[in-house]
Order: sequence, then structure tokens, then C-alpha cells
Amino acid sequence: MENLEGLKLMAEQWSNQGIEYLQKIPPFQLYAAIGLLLLTTVLLLSFRLVRRTKSNTVLLSGLSGSGKTVLFYQLRDGSSHQGSVTSMEPNEGTFVFHSEHAKKGKIKHVHLVDVPGHSRLRPKLEEFLPQAAAIVFVVDALEFLPNCRAASEYLYDILTNANVVKKKIPVLLCCNKTDKLTAHTKEFIKKQMEKEIEKLRASRSAVSTADIANDYTIGIEGEVFSFSHCCNRVTVAEASGLNGETVQVQDFIREYI
Amino acid sequence: MLEQLLIFTRGGLILWTCKEIGNALKGSPIDTLIRSCLLEERSGEVSFNYGAYTLKWTFHNELGLVFVAVYQKILQLLYVDDLLSIVKQSFSEMYDPKRMRYDDFEETFRQLSVEAEARAEEMKRTKQVAKPLNGVKKQGQVSKEETKKSNGEKKDDGDKVSVLSNGNHKMEDDVANGKENSADNNNNNSVGVDVSKLAKLRSKGVRGRGGLRKADSLGSNKGSSKVVEPPKKATKKNRVWDDAAAAPKQEEEKLDFTDENGDNGHVDVVAAADQGESMMDKEEVFSSDSESEDDDDDEPRSDEKPEAKKKGWFSSVFQSITGKANLERTDLEPALKALKERLMTKNVAEEIAEKLCESVEASLEGKKLASFTRISSTVQGAMEDALIRILTPRRSIDIMRDVHAAKEQRRPYVVVFVGVNGVGKSTNLAKVAYWLQQHKVSVMMAACDTFRSGAVEQLRTHARRLQIPIFEKGYEKDPAVVAKEAIQEATRNGSDVVLVDTAGRMQDNEPLMRALSKLINLNKPDLVLFVGEALVGNDAVDQLSKFNQKLSDLSTSGNTRLIDGILLTKFDTIDDKVGAALSMVYISGAPVMFVGCGQSYTDLKKLNVKAIVKTLLK
Repeated sequence: MENLEGLKLMAEQWSNQGIEYLQKIPPFQLYAAIGLLLLTTVLLLSFRLVRRTKSNTVLLSGLSGSGKTVLFYQLRDGSSHQGSVTSMEPNEGTFVFHSEHAKKGKIKHVHLVDVPGHSRLRPKLEEFLPQAAAIVFVVDALEFLPNCRAASEYLYDILTNANVVKKKIPVLLCCNKTDKLTAHTKEFIKKQMEKEIEKLRASRSAVSTADIANDYTIGIEGEVFSFSHCCNRVTVAEASGLNGETVQVQDFIREYI
Repeated sequence: MLEQLLIFTRGGLILWTCKEIGNALKGSPIDTLIRSCLLEERSGEVSFNYGAYTLKWTFHNELGLVFVAVYQKILQLLYVDDLLSIVKQSFSEMYDPKRMRYDDFEETFRQLSVEAEARAEEMKRTKQVAKPLNGVKKQGQVSKEETKKSNGEKKDDGDKVSVLSNGNHKMEDDVANGKENSADNNNNNSVGVDVSKLAKLRSKGVRGRGGLRKADSLGSNKGSSKVVEPPKKATKKNRVWDDAAAAPKQEEEKLDFTDENGDNGHVDVVAAADQGESMMDKEEVFSSDSESEDDDDDEPRSDEKPEAKKKGWFSSVFQSITGKANLERTDLEPALKALKERLMTKNVAEEIAEKLCESVEASLEGKKLASFTRISSTVQGAMEDALIRILTPRRSIDIMRDVHAAKEQRRPYVVVFVGVNGVGKSTNLAKVAYWLQQHKVSVMMAACDTFRSGAVEQLRTHARRLQIPIFEKGYEKDPAVVAKEAIQEATRNGSDVVLVDTAGRMQDNEPLMRALSKLINLNKPDLVLFVGEALVGNDAVDQLSKFNQKLSDLSTSGNTRLIDGILLTKFDTIDDKVGAALSMVYISGAPVMFVGCGQSYTDLKKLNVKAIVKTLLK
């Protein structure tokens, strides 16, 4: 108790000294200091508000083995170099597309992030979602049917993520490896994904109102799910990472950046 | 001769492969290595086997590069480690993040490999004079018989992909075998005797306890076979005590209380158990203000020398401000040791904690310490990442989706609950049934625990309360056959899910494990759920690895079924000693699908990975 009393006394003394000191300063300087402080805070806030509207991050996501890393290097360097293995960490880069090097004029740089597709590294995607302006979901058109369920679950998780729904982040469903003969068409893949997501909708939002698996539900009640029901735009495109046919992907990205 | 040597970035881009020995590799060993070893936090191991190849690797953590060497398993090359480290050194000198092609490295590599081979030859020649038995020992690693004899060490079949060997202590063998050569040599002599004795015993048809480890146990085996449980087919003989009067025959019959007429008399309508929402569907709320990690709290509890401590603290503070050049093993060791101790106080099995720390060490060594960070916080961050990676499931654990998929194929979804005695299989089976029922799925129970008294009645009571059908055949029946008939019945009356309850069994009990694998092989369930209690300590590792091993050894068809998921029970009895979850997931690779946290029907939860990791590192 004595300690508290002692501390109280000291605090009072200090506050008195502080007040006396303040009163000693000429009022003009005091007002100037406060005014400057307010001005800087206002400026910072406004900068932050203005800057927040346009992020230039694009995420490349998809299952492991769908060709994201190859696509990343194609977009950046125009070639996939010597091939790739399963990624353990994200690949990031801020650049202009390789095919746009020849163009003149001021082209905005794209911050492309290739997120690993392995299921153990799924939490990494959530780190990048808040800053994403667009998402490219890469699907392997060659080995589509065995992985259909896993791919649709991943896509469902992305489409029902809080960030994606609130900011209406556009998603491109990119069918990769279309240079191969037995690759499926994008229409087929789109239909299959819609069917699978319909099934997921039924099983995930079955009974409980507190559905902890996903933040939101998508689609319209009573109707079969279709990508047009999503509040954010979902489009489909084809690409071939190994051959360098990435025009559709580039167009999509340039629409939003 | 090496099959291949690869250099790639952690982001997945291949930087250089050796053109000279560019043999096409069978299968995809590199991808398998990454998926089943490096991403599973087993990067502290010595090597990895895949098909006919052995892979060795090393990291350069600062630049984010991985160096992998692939060679034929039978070759037993000794210079690979040496070669990898000098390749790492010379490549990192010429590495440039902007460059993608390193064709000029070919020449350097050729020189380095020639030098390394020469050095290895020298060492081999000097060693060969001293210990001629070394080479023989290494060859002996592959033979299966030896594995059973050596002190509790297990090794998988050389031809199998060691993705299956998640539960095996293969990594220990490589290190231990190399170190304990002399010890093993002594064992060799006793091993030779064991084999012949074993052959004799086997021919006499004595079923001793699995895993014959000591020579002296063989002698007592014959005598103790009476005490060991007789095979399931023989009826159980009543044990005759010396002091009691000779038990009359009627006594035996009186003890059998199976109600053969069924429960025709008890048609009282039991109110269907409706205790509200199962906790599986409730939102997990945990306070967010416990998120700030209290680094200041981890004052070391051990009584180390105060002077050394002060010096360590001061230099670490100094280094944290300046940002030291590179992290060395000696720097990481104290932090890792403290972390390992902390994990062990949270009931993580000792060897799992050890392996995890080695893996984290491998990923941090050589990395540059960022300024204004302490070594301990870097290590803590890396360990947290590693733990989240392990506990995140490798495949989807959406049971509802699987049930619906099976429903479309017009067959029931079969779940088998396995585990040791007394972990809570029957109780948690009822909880899972309740949860499924709430989600409008029709469930059927199958009472395949035909051994323990009261097991069938227990399930019958649960079934009555939940108002779901139960398939039972009483006691002393073959569980595999009961399960098969149950599944047929379910197909007939259109149940969506069949939950099969089995008897508890110790992982060492060979006949019972054989019966279990027979049940699984015969019925091909969709989900093999291992029920383990959260109170278990180091035994969790043993239980899971032996269960997996027995299931893979005794499987008949080509498709080996291992444990697909874990059900963690008695979670409410541990406060924050949640380490058993980590040990089980690490050793088996199976995700935790449910967590049982009480004895009523609603006490079934999903595992919250972030909460567990936070508790483990607190």
C-alpha cells in the first residue's frame, strides 16, 4: 500500500510539472505543433485510402501438378526453362509479361504469385487472398476426371472465402495442358466443375446453420449451381504452359490490372 | 554411379540436371520425395527409398535451393553425402537469382564427382582393413529375416514404395545400423541361432507372440503359449483354479449370458436421443487475445550456469540487432533443445519431437538471420510453420461428401473402428452415428466385437436410444464374417453408412492383428478409423506404426489398406497436453477426422489446427 501511495504522489508531481511546462510555451508554437500533427495524420490516411483501391496482385492457384509454376515462368520469361517439380514455397514476381516487352509505353507491372497446390500448404493461399485483385485457378485438362473432386473442393473453398466474396474478386478457370490430344475441352470441364460444386453445396450446407467449414454459401437456393450465380465473375479459358499459349490468361489479367 | 543429380529451387523450378548421366528415371522419384518426405517434415532423415532408387538431399537455406542425388539402392555409394556438400558449396558461389541456365556447371560437376569418388575409394580401402564385416552388415540390411531379429528395429520390404512406410522406423535403421555395427555384430551370432529355432517352432505350429526379440524368450514361449490367448476359432476354456472345487459342467453354461431369443420382451419405446446439435457443427470460439506469443515468458527452467546464460542472452540480443551472417548448427541447438523440451512437456512422443527438431534444423541451417529478430523467435516461427503443415490434412476429410458419393453408387459407406483396448471405440461410434443422423444420413451399426462381454449389449443400447438398426450375431463368432453379412444387410435395406465396431487389441498380439487384417481385407471398408486416446504418451507411436505395419504385411490383395483417419478420444481429460495428436499424425500421415471430448452424444468435434499449434508452443 505504501508503494502505491508513493507512486501516486510521484505521478501527481510529474503531471503538475508537465502542466506547468506546457503553460510556459507560447501558445502559437503549441497550436502550430498540434496543427502539423493533425495535417500529417490526415495526409497519411488519405494516401492509404487512395492506394487501397488498386492492388496489382494476381494469384495462380490450383491442385498440385496442374502446371502453375510452368505457367508462371512462361508469363515471366517466355519459356519454362528446364521443367519443374512440386513447389514447396510460393513463387513471386512483379513484372511485365514477356510478350509485352516489345510494346512501348507505360505498362503496369503485375505482381504474380504462384501458390503451391499441395494440400499441406493450403494455408499459404489464405495469406495471399486479402491482397489479391484476380485469381487464376489452373486445372489439368489432361488428368481431369481423377482429380475432379479435389479440384472442385479447392475451387469451392476459394469461391466461398470471405475475402473473395466481399471484394468480388474475379476468377479465371484456366484449363492447362490443352496441347495434348486427350485433353478435355473447356466446356466439358466447366460443366463437370459445376456439377461437382452442386454436390458439394448439398453436402456442406446440409443441416447446421453454423457451417464452420466455409464462410459463405454460393449459388441460388433451389437451382442447380452455375458459375453465373456467383457474385464475382468466373470465366473459363484454355492455355498450354509448355507451348507458351498463354494469351487468354494474359488478356484476363490485363482486364483487371 | 549416380543415376541423376538435380538442383532446384524451393519454388519448384529445376536449375540444373546432370546432362552426362541423364538417364530417364522410372516413375517420379523427385516428386514423391517432396510430397512424402520433405513436406512431411522428415527432412532430417538420412535418405529416402523409392522403388529401386535411393535419394539423398541437402538444402541451401539461404538461397532456397535443394540438391538431390538419385542412385540405385543396391549400389550403396558412400561418397554421395560428400559430393552433395561440395556441389552445394561450389554452386552457391555461381548462383544468381536472375540466371536460369547453368550449363557451365557441367564441367565443374564432373571434376567434383571424380574427386569425391577418389576420396571415397581411399576411405574404403583404409576401412576395409579394419572391419571386414561392415560391408556384409550393409548388405544384410535388405534381408527381411534380420529385421525381425534386430532389437525392435523395423524395415520395410525393399521393393515397396516407402510411401507406405509412413509408420515404419526406416530412418532410424539407416542411422542406427551405421552406428551400432559392433553391437549388431554380437547380435549376429545370437541372430543365427534364433532363425533356426524359429523355423523349428513355426513348423510345430506354435503361435508365439509376434516380434520375437530376445533369445531367452524363445524358451519360455513354448511354456507360455498356454497363457497366450488361443486362436479365435477354439472356444475359450474355463480357467481352473487350484483352490476351488472342480467346477461342474453347469457352471460353464451358466456363465454364458447371451440372450439367444433376442430382445423380444423389451419393446419399450425408448425416447429417441435428441440432445441438440453435435459439437461437430458448432463454431469453435477461442479468445483472440491469447494470440500474442509471450516470448518473454519462456525463461529457461533448467538450472544452467548463470554466467553462460547471461553471455548467451547478451550476444543473442546483440546479434538480433545487427543480424548475424548465417545460422549455424551450434546457434540453433540451444533454441531447438528448449523447444524440444517444451514439446515433450506437452506430451509429444520423444522421438517425434526429436525428428521434428532435426527437420526444422535442416530447414534453417545456413539461413541469414533477419535483423531485429532473435534466434529463438526464428526457430519458433519455423517450428510453427512445420506443425501447421503436419496437422493440415493431406487429403480432404469431408466425410459427408464421401457418403454422398457412395450413395450415388448405391452401396453403403463402411467405416471400421480399430484401436487398442479401452480407448473408447464403442462410445465414439455412437457419437459419430448421432452426428450422421443429424445430417439426415441413415446409419447402421455392426457389432463385430464378439469377444468382450457386454459389447453387443452396449451397442444395442446405443442403437435403441438413437433408433438406428443394429446388426449383431452374438458372441464367439468370426468378426470378419459378421461384418460381411452386415454390409450385405445394409445394401439390402438401403442404409447409407455402416459403422463396424471391432474388439480392442494390443498392437503386439499377432493372432488378433491377423484377424483384424482379415476383416479389412475381406470387407474392403471405405474408411479405416484408428481410435486413439489423447492420454497416450510415447506408446502412440508404437501403436500406430505397428497397426500400419501389420495391416500392410498381412494384406492379401494388391491394394493395401492402411489407417485412413484418426479419431482422438478423451480430449477433455487433458488440459493443454495435446501432443498425442501431433505424434499420431506425424507417424501415420493420417489426418485427425474427429475429436471426442466427453461421454455424451454431442461431444464430437473437428480438430482446430491453429489452436492446437498455439497450445503446443505456448
